[in-house]
Amino acid sequence: MTDFFECRGGRWWYRHGVSLTEARLAAGACQGFVPDDEDEQVDDVPLSCVNCAWRRWEQGSFQCLYLKRLHPDNSL
Amino acid sequence: MPEYLIAIDDTDDIGTRGTGDIAQQLGQILAIDCGGVASPVTRHQLLVHPDIPYTSHNSAMCFALKGDISPQRLKQLASELLEAESAAAADPGLAFMCLSSFTSNAALVEFGLAAKRRVLTKDEAYGLAADIGVHLSEHGGTGQGVIGALAGLGLRLEGNDGRLKGHFDVGQGDDELSLPVSVLLAQTGVDAVIALDDTELADEVPVRVRGKLKAVWRQGRSAILVSFRDGAWRNAGKQELKEY
Repeated sequence: MTDFFECRGGRWWYRHGVSLTEARLAAGACQGFVPDDEDEQVDDVPLSCVNCAWRRWEQGSFQCLYLKRLHPDNSL
Repeated sequence: MPEYLIAIDDTDDIGTRGTGDIAQQLGQILAIDCGGVASPVTRHQLLVHPDIPYTSHNSAMCFALKGDISPQRLKQLASELLEAESAAAADPGLAFMCLSSFTSNAALVEFGLAAKRRVLTKDEAYGLAADIGVHLSEHGGTGQGVIGALAGLGLRLEGNDGRLKGHFDVGQGDDELSLPVSVLLAQTGVDAVIALDDTELADEVPVRVRGKLKAVWRQGRSAILVSFRDGAWRNAGKQELKEY
């Protein structure tokens, strides 16, 4: 799961812009996936990081607040 | 009968009720209180920017209410709900105005469009609201949600922004179902079925429906969005809807 994200400045940034392919793979490997409100989901495949309540949109991509919570000291 | 436009923003946090749910409930409460009718809720995406604090989405929710209710009563009921239902970490804002007597559409629309392009401030929001006679109030936290709430009104007024909250069940389930436009309109109560280029489909045109059937806000009305794929008109997927 962390292969799809990069930790910078204490935040876990998705490495692949808004690509759905990797977002689905990442969510499939994640223990923390929580489906967001249906109106906020943007992938027709339900299990996808872009449909997760822990996803926080940023310009051109998103960060994962679940990983931030899981690794508060930025370590793996 | 008066008609109000009402918008809220920044009521939720991760793991709490969404702002859309609260907006829908507010519409029901107001409609019951005054014997009126609340419209569907529209969701309006605002600018995502490092200087804008938000939980996950930065989207405002807006709906219309036709009903004989005073602004004071509307504010009271909305305030009670926002303060009871908003997440502890949220910064809720409420905006509304009476459409029947409102004459400053252009300024409000411009504010809404600006909120999709640049970072706006609470001072700008309060200044505009005072100038044009829109109610604006904050209901917890920093109250930063007043910016999005005011923008939500403007974007709904503009008429070409946002998706309707929720989705429609016309019997499609996981299987594909072919229905003519006329039946889709009758079963959903939506105003039109339109293609991605805004072309309106005629009543007799068949549409293949599968999965989540959702509507957008186009030309000041609700519309089911479809695209021509694999030789047939099909309801838009989430990626196509994302642009709205």
